Amino acid sequence: MFLQQLLNGLTTGSAYALIALGYTMIYGILGLINFAQGEIYMCGAFVAVLLLASGQVSFYLAFAAGMAAAALLGLALERIAFRPLRGTHPLVPLISAIGASIFLQSLALLLFGPNDRAFPMQFTFQTISLAGLPVSTLQGAILGAALLFMALLVAFVRYTRYGKAIVACALDRDTARLMGINVDRMVALTFLIGSALSGAAGVMMAIYYNATYPRMGLLPGLKAFSAAILGGVGNIPGAILGGLVLGIAESLGAAYISSGYKDAVAFVILILVLLLRPQGILAGWQRH
Amino acid sequence: MAAYFLHLAILAGIYIILTISLNLIIGYAGQVSLGHAAFYGIGAYTSALVSVYWHFPFPLALTAAVLTTAVCGLALGLPTLRLREDYLAIVTLGFGVIVDMVALNLEITGGPDGIVGIPAPIILGLSFRSQPRYLGLVVLCVLSVLGLTYRLVQSYHGRALRAIRDHEVTAQVMGINTPAYKIAVFTLAAALAGLAGVLYAHYISFINPESFGLHTSILALCMVVLGGMGSLAGSIVGALILSVLPELLRRFHAYQDLLYGALLVGLLIWRPEGIMGRGNMSLKFLQKE
Amino acid sequence: MLKLTSVQAGYGRLPVLKGISLHVRQGEVVCLIGGNGAGKTTTLKAIAGLLPIRKGQVEFAGRDLTRLPPEQIVRRGLALVPEGRRVFATLSVTANLELGAFHRQDKKEVRQDLEEMLARFPLLKERAHQPAGTLSGGEQQMLAIARALMARPRLLMLDEPSMGLAPRIVAQVYDILKELQIVGVTLLLIEQNARAALKLADRGYVMETGRIILDGAAADLREDPEVQRAYLGKGYQEVWE
Repeated sequence: MFLQQLLNGLTTGSAYALIALGYTMIYGILGLINFAQGEIYMCGAFVAVLLLASGQVSFYLAFAAGMAAAALLGLALERIAFRPLRGTHPLVPLISAIGASIFLQSLALLLFGPNDRAFPMQFTFQTISLAGLPVSTLQGAILGAALLFMALLVAFVRYTRYGKAIVACALDRDTARLMGINVDRMVALTFLIGSALSGAAGVMMAIYYNATYPRMGLLPGLKAFSAAILGGVGNIPGAILGGLVLGIAESLGAAYISSGYKDAVAFVILILVLLLRPQGILAGWQRH
Repeated sequence: MAAYFLHLAILAGIYIILTISLNLIIGYAGQVSLGHAAFYGIGAYTSALVSVYWHFPFPLALTAAVLTTAVCGLALGLPTLRLREDYLAIVTLGFGVIVDMVALNLEITGGPDGIVGIPAPIILGLSFRSQPRYLGLVVLCVLSVLGLTYRLVQSYHGRALRAIRDHEVTAQVMGINTPAYKIAVFTLAAALAGLAGVLYAHYISFINPESFGLHTSILALCMVVLGGMGSLAGSIVGALILSVLPELLRRFHAYQDLLYGALLVGLLIWRPEGIMGRGNMSLKFLQKE
Repeated sequence: MLKLTSVQAGYGRLPVLKGISLHVRQGEVVCLIGGNGAGKTTTLKAIAGLLPIRKGQVEFAGRDLTRLPPEQIVRRGLALVPEGRRVFATLSVTANLELGAFHRQDKKEVRQDLEEMLARFPLLKERAHQPAGTLSGGEQQMLAIARALMARPRLLMLDEPSMGLAPRIVAQVYDILKELQIVGVTLLLIEQNARAALKLADRGYVMETGRIILDGAAADLREDPEVQRAYLGKGYQEVWE
């Protein structure tokens, strides 16, 4: 029972971690929170579901298309809702992002209606026994894919030229420009990557819960934000750890405290972190 | 027809209070609350509960409701307002979701059905059941709130608050206790939103969680931005336009949120100062560097 | 090679440079000296594109740079070692050096340059995989210079390379600048430490409140009584004695 809850928590937590990475990277480079991250997640899920429902494409293609659509939406958001507002008080892009979030949510509502859509799955999943623990292969697949994406991101940031350039922009924008780095392009790249990860999370959760609907991004967005804060905003390993911890806490909370208030767990954690350790759990640890 | 206009006028008055309270947070603390509807809802629910179950007289119910929302504002502001501007937005958004969840799950709040039979206010033996009288009450409240906020803007404290908003570090160096000021403003704003909720509950006489969701928070935000962030006059204009317009455009109800979202983004790009421009607590920060 | 014609620039509404004209020839070492707030850093920032130029013109190797953004200017062969070193603290020394060559497409030669740079700065080689933020001030200054050299600049600008460093370390930094001078790198250097700068430089300009008030061969400037009094700390001795 406990291990089962732990696994459930890790599965949803991996989705929170993927969205939290988007928050954290965008925060790192622009110093602001992209409020519409949850809608990007929703967009990824819808595109994959609609493509699969059309019966024309394979699962993998639909998954990739969901990520691509989310990435494009992220790019568009950066262009429309953030870039024109650079240099203003941080409140201004924040409100603009809130507006974008509402706009996208209601657009999805108008286009697709309020009802849940099932995920047209082409595979069947079983429950296998792993060391005496019943594990669903679906959970295993989701967790595996999420960890793969995270590893790819970490490798990208650490070992590639563009990854290092993004970090440089986040650390010191003017000096990065002196190196010949085009900051606008790096910001766009960050939105692209962060949004693609959120889109991937959206598709995975659309499969996991078998439900895709316009407001599906609201709570995961909020929780992923809490995860990003938990790990320390701007901190990539922190976002991953924060997401996983949050998913587990939520799953255990629902099992042992009250399932009705499952969604409140993340929020309580958020408040506690802000009160006790606003710099995040990994602060001071990461650099040494 | 007259009844309908009175109805619109009363709702507009309530929204003016809600908008002013949100504008205080934006214009003074330089922060944004996305759970403003939650404070509005807490005010409405508290007053409704104590009136229906414990038969509190209206002035006492009103006091209880305003105090409750103030305490909630304080509890939420304390951990958050010391930190970056964006944290309050997310924390209040989460708070809104939780309040919604609690209202839907608790037995005493009636779940999705809400609370019915909220009595019309009786103050000193005078009943405010009729619409014209209720409008009078609302107008009185609006004027008091305007008077209060105007005084605040003009006072020493108002100047301290403007200093914080325009340059927090400098204000700190000058010895202004910035977190305390921000928390005080946020608490006051929560209390005023609670007042708006009380007025709403006792007018409509029936409330459920639907009226206090994210949609309402966003609506209030749109009113502030449309009228002009930091402008008291703007709050009135923004609230009037956005509370009357949807009633006139009922047919396009489905497109309302779409419009609000686009309105927010568009205004901030093309006219960040809103309709009324820079008012008496106007924001220097709207200008680009 | 580099030519500024009545350049005006500033922060916000505040004008700092009130018409600066100067030039640097190929292979020359030129220094710009002056007190605090004279506009030295502003001049370099304006050349590098970090500050918009309101009036006047910046020409480099016969091309107009006046309105170009910094990321384009470094591509034209003009690199700046910024004031306060500004190394990327959480990135490794190697990563910092690689970023210096960010715009270069010749990957193989970048590799070679990296090796060469580590060979030239043995201190950096020892710490190649350490985060740059853990380096001492002098090591960070070396890194900042090496990073700028990774761009293979035709002209290197340095903003107060001796700031905040112990005299012994300053001497090391200047040894390196001397080596660069010998191999023919063109340098534009600004300093409050006028003594060291004028010793290295071929020519110098003296700035005061946004204007150039004096220019000439470095040797002449060293002998100029005004410069000696104001920037070299000479004269006081005689007054006191």
